[in-house]
Amino acid sequence: MGVVMPLNAETVQARTQRVVNEDSTDIALFVRSSQDDMTGWNRQRIVDALLRETFIDRDTAEKISRDIEVTIQAGKVKTITGPLIREMVNAKLLEMGLEEARRMHTRLGVPLYDVDQLLVQHNKENANVPHGPEATNLTLAEGIKKEYALLHVFTPDVADAHLSGDLHLHDLGFIDRPYCSGQSLEYIKKFGLNLPHALSMAKPAKHAEVLLAHMVKFAASLQSHFAGAIGWDAINLFYAPYLEELDDDGVKQLAQMMIYEFSQQAVARGGQAIFSDVNIYWEVPKHFVDVPAIGPGGVYTGKTYGEYEKQAQRFAWALFEVYKEGDAAGRPFFFPKPLVHITEKFFKTDGHLEFLHHICEVASVKGNTYFVFDRGDTAKISECCRLSFKLEASDLEDAKQPWKMRYSALQNVTINLPRLAFKAKGDDTKLFALLTEKIQLAAKAHEQKKKFIERLMSLGKGGPLSLLAMDLDGEPYLKLHRCSYLIGMVGLNELIRVHLGQELHDSDASIKFGLKVIAHMNIVCNKLAESLDMKFVLEQTPAESTAFRFAKLDLAHFSTEAEKVVLGNREKGEVYYSNSTLFNVGATMSPIARVEKEGLFHPLIEAGSITHIWLGEAQPDKEALAGFVINVFKYTQNDQIAFSPEFTACLACGKTSRGLSEICPYCQSKDVDGITRITGYFTKISSWNKGKLGELHDRYRNVDRFNN
Amino acid sequence: MSVDLPQIKGFLETSFIDWPGKLCAILFVGGCNFRCPFCHNHPLVLAPEGLETIPFAEIMGRLATRKNWLAGVCISGGEPTLSPGLPVMIAKLKAEGWAIKLDTNGSRPEMLAQLLANNLLDMVAMDVKTVLVQDKYERCAGGPVDLGAIQKSIDLLSNSDIPHEFRMTIAPGLHTEEDIVVWNHQFDRSRSSLTLQNFNPLTTLDVRFEKEKGFVPEIFSRLVGMIA
Repeated sequence: MGVVMPLNAETVQARTQRVVNEDSTDIALFVRSSQDDMTGWNRQRIVDALLRETFIDRDTAEKISRDIEVTIQAGKVKTITGPLIREMVNAKLLEMGLEEARRMHTRLGVPLYDVDQLLVQHNKENANVPHGPEATNLTLAEGIKKEYALLHVFTPDVADAHLSGDLHLHDLGFIDRPYCSGQSLEYIKKFGLNLPHALSMAKPAKHAEVLLAHMVKFAASLQSHFAGAIGWDAINLFYAPYLEELDDDGVKQLAQMMIYEFSQQAVARGGQAIFSDVNIYWEVPKHFVDVPAIGPGGVYTGKTYGEYEKQAQRFAWALFEVYKEGDAAGRPFFFPKPLVHITEKFFKTDGHLEFLHHICEVASVKGNTYFVFDRGDTAKISECCRLSFKLEASDLEDAKQPWKMRYSALQNVTINLPRLAFKAKGDDTKLFALLTEKIQLAAKAHEQKKKFIERLMSLGKGGPLSLLAMDLDGEPYLKLHRCSYLIGMVGLNELIRVHLGQELHDSDASIKFGLKVIAHMNIVCNKLAESLDMKFVLEQTPAESTAFRFAKLDLAHFSTEAEKVVLGNREKGEVYYSNSTLFNVGATMSPIARVEKEGLFHPLIEAGSITHIWLGEAQPDKEALAGFVINVFKYTQNDQIAFSPEFTACLACGKTSRGLSEICPYCQSKDVDGITRITGYFTKISSWNKGKLGELHDRYRNVDRFNN
Repeated sequence: MSVDLPQIKGFLETSFIDWPGKLCAILFVGGCNFRCPFCHNHPLVLAPEGLETIPFAEIMGRLATRKNWLAGVCISGGEPTLSPGLPVMIAKLKAEGWAIKLDTNGSRPEMLAQLLANNLLDMVAMDVKTVLVQDKYERCAGGPVDLGAIQKSIDLLSNSDIPHEFRMTIAPGLHTEEDIVVWNHQFDRSRSSLTLQNFNPLTTLDVRFEKEKGFVPEIFSRLVGMIA
């Protein structure tokens, strides 16, 4: 038996801390030889590496290096590379039972065959990644960082829970970044574009178009530092002081530039569009009314934001005119996603009904509009697929100096709910105990990621996260102590189906039990938040690929139980679980019942929820939709809704038609692609993963007239 | 004397598209005297007895929970005016405060007149299949048609103060551009609104029609422009 080291993320980190400043290329390739000429061969390098990277003793390291030397001399190997030697050493370590040392000494990388496949095949884990050299760079880098995270950032119990599908740690390939970021335009209005290590620095913008240029570049640099969404608060209001010099055409032009800039940014990181959200208000939100407005040149205009209502409304109107037109082929814009806040004040603001009809027409024609409901005194900034941050007292204090308003969730961990039900076998106590256990494990994963990001942030402006460490307003851009940690769920509906034998839409009893499960998650999160002093909040996981991954893994490991509840088409491998607390997408439920019943869960899910209404081919009447939206605000607890139409984009004639068809109605070509909302955003169906394809087929589109 | 209520074969609680400007519920009444080859609701037309009848009381119960949400109830089919019990059913809905929209093919002007006279309707959509020419109309309706009755219904609606629309589903094999021009001239546009619907080959009454196509979108838009 060799030396067994307790391996945890802490000791490994402490161990590697020393080498952080050494040039890593030396370590990667330390010998290259041909035939019998062993140029550069130095047995000592093996010893050095073993001593540097593992805890084994010098004598053992010397012995291993000598053994390897003998093998190489005796063998017929023509070319020896660093990676090969390292694998030989690893094999030796294993042979000697030094498992922990092997783990620490391991290489991260990708087999030749996989790289070949990758460069040619399309990665479908995230439909927002197109196919191309930048995208394959991203996939390769993500692959290595993911392995690194699982081996080195997280402890084995957490990593195993992820690999086995008990949990899903999102964006492991972006382990060295926080998850998402919501901010205010005021930061660049006040400080200009002044980024660490930038080649040039720009003073605060004097004109609206320049401000837009700054915003887009800032968003792109944020995209390089966060895994997910980049959201902007009250965008139409913060542009308002720059709009006085523009006539209506000028404002429309600016709106068009903004939407095109963000929707065509699929040229940056990994060929990915910036997952961007813009929050839009028709009224001036209460907390900004008396705030002094910053205008051209970064100086105060002498007015408060309350006085810019009309300008802000002009911009909001123009943005939706652009959304309504769609792109040059009439397709909906995928980004930035417009989130309109419907509040008590909205209904007291002049012109709100016309605006509501306007945005409902966009919802009907193109589907872009997200309706976010902030009832009572809540104020929120929304981003991502559904994530929102409720503004607390300290945030509202920040609102007086809006550049200080920035919010980040550090990581998202999702729990596989159906699996808990498989294990609980109908026993309530066991079910809730297992759930608690998994939430604790998720919290542990969050602590480990937090520690890792703290370590990167501690390197300050000279470290890898210099952008997040910049402190133009006296605080680092990323306020780590105020970050949220998201805990999501997949498959509540299937948990209920296993545990109670019926689905959420089947009975009030199943809804009641579902609420108990989510309330329990909420309570455990709050308790852990108190004891660990971290803000754990529940979120409806968008689960673009997680719902597919969990279903696949459960079919493999809990096949008897899973076969009964997994949704989709098993023959085609298009399987999935219901997202988060959503009801079965195929259940015949009227849109009213869906927003009401799904909305019952929303107050328990602090970081945001959504109900989707799939419209299919139907193009509803804008007044009918507006009436519906008003009622959702008045009569339900629903947090957010979106209406999702479907389109067919023809690749032959370039035209876009309504509904999903196999043949272009314009030119009869079969070379078509569908477009609709995948989870929280629109995208081309050809890029969807199999689980989502299964779901698309099942979606209830409110047309099934004779079966309900 | 009591009459049987119409047999309700389908119920959609929420529709965003069937009543302009309003969110409404739809009741589908079984049975029809037309056999329009492009009909999408053909199970209601050809074999309504194969569909379960939803008890009217159940529907009233479901509607009652949606008072805040729905602006009215649309009665569609099939052809609802074939049922002698239609006025009774509408009166019951009206008594609960529901506004009523009727979808009809206009083949029963007496029933329509009775409903209008008793203030039982708030909106009517009448499908006018094509221009009022015997052979053309019969082709579109899939069987014999009394054009006099159709004309009577058109006149009734045109002369009433109740909001109404005449709509026509058009398909390249059945309608020509000239038909649409002539059709358009039949109506007093200051009193009535007109709508064209493009034929959609998805599941039609006459399966041969599933091979037909609607007008290509550009042409359809132009035709819509002609009646605007």
